Amino acid sequence: MNPSIKMLLALLIAVEVSFTQSWSVNLILVLGSLIWLIAVKVAPRKIGLLFLVPILPAIAITISMYLWTDQSVHFILVLVTRIFAYVFVGSVATLTTTLQELILSLEQNAKLPSKFAYGFLGAFNLIPKIINEVAIIRSAGRMRNQTMHFWSPSLYFKAILASLNWSENLAEAMTSHGFVEDVRRTHYRIIHVPHHNYYEFGAILVVLQLLLFATPLP
Amino acid sequence: MNIFKAWHLRDIITLALISIFFGVIYWVIIPLYNGLTIALTPIGLGPAANDILMGVWVMAGPLAGYMFRIAGSATLGELLGSVVEMFLGGQWGASTLISGIVQGIGSELGFTLTGYKLYNWFSLSLSVFTTTVVTFGWDMIRNGYNKYHIGLLLTLFLIRLVSTFFFSGVLVKLIMNLLEKSHILAPR
Repeated sequence: MNPSIKMLLALLIAVEVSFTQSWSVNLILVLGSLIWLIAVKVAPRKIGLLFLVPILPAIAITISMYLWTDQSVHFILVLVTRIFAYVFVGSVATLTTTLQELILSLEQNAKLPSKFAYGFLGAFNLIPKIINEVAIIRSAGRMRNQTMHFWSPSLYFKAILASLNWSENLAEAMTSHGFVEDVRRTHYRIIHVPHHNYYEFGAILVVLQLLLFATPLP
Repeated sequence: MNIFKAWHLRDIITLALISIFFGVIYWVIIPLYNGLTIALTPIGLGPAANDILMGVWVMAGPLAGYMFRIAGSATLGELLGSVVEMFLGGQWGASTLISGIVQGIGSELGFTLTGYKLYNWFSLSLSVFTTTVVTFGWDMIRNGYNKYHIGLLLTLFLIRLVSTFFFSGVLVKLIMNLLEKSHILAPR
């Protein structure tokens, strides 16, 4: 499925289940996403992690609701399965697409201006460097006996300084390679949205509405 | 579209890089969030961990709004931060993205209400307040906060307000002071 369509679909479903009160439909979404993930051969270790990750918040919310409200088991079950539905539906969008594919598709299929698309791409390519930079800033601080916590203004200050420096370099590099803002670009690799993607998109949403509103599922 | 016109390549990259830095910092404190949740769960206050740390998750919005002074920058900053967190493998999946949009709109509102003309303590505090209200409203729907008894609900709201005020208000202002003192944000 086209990355833009997939992301939109995941977002719409996540928004909708935020308002609905059916734990069985939440479970069906989890199951459907699971089948999708297995079908496109996502690494089993990653799928396994999806089961573990929501457990803590799920337990927290269960105990909290049990102790502090007089809600029925049904409501608690809805909240718990909702957390799992979020994680699984979201993973169909994130684990089956790279960030790069998503951005390029947003540019070509969703009219994202190319200065944003390529600006983001350039920046996102620096993610490993940024993770490194945060570690460097913190250890540089420790050498001067300053511990940088996440509430230290200087940690963020230094991060912003690095961002300003790098963005200057990156923008100049892109310009010198011929990138011009607000000009129509041609594409070497054209990303199509196959017609059947629209049908699949519509069909999934229709089935979800039917499950939610036309069946007596709890 | 007109709102895109105000943005130039360099600003876009700067904003994206700053959001990524924040995304990485959000991601680094996930263990703290988990620890807090575990500690608070036995007394049934596990979800309060979210309110305690809310100020950190929403920092990128007010900072970007204050720094770039362009309509939409707070929303965009917060949204990009959440995209990064999501792709780095944050624990919330697609809902990270929705939270990012909700938080971004929340902090944007504060600057919108002052017509993008006022950048001082007042507009920042306003942004803190709108962020708290909007995100809390969202949690009332999504996490069933509306079912809590009124006393607990008010406590959670206050915790969130204090946290947001500290991180997105005081801390953002301190960071901005450092930036202003260094004269690095000279008009381009």
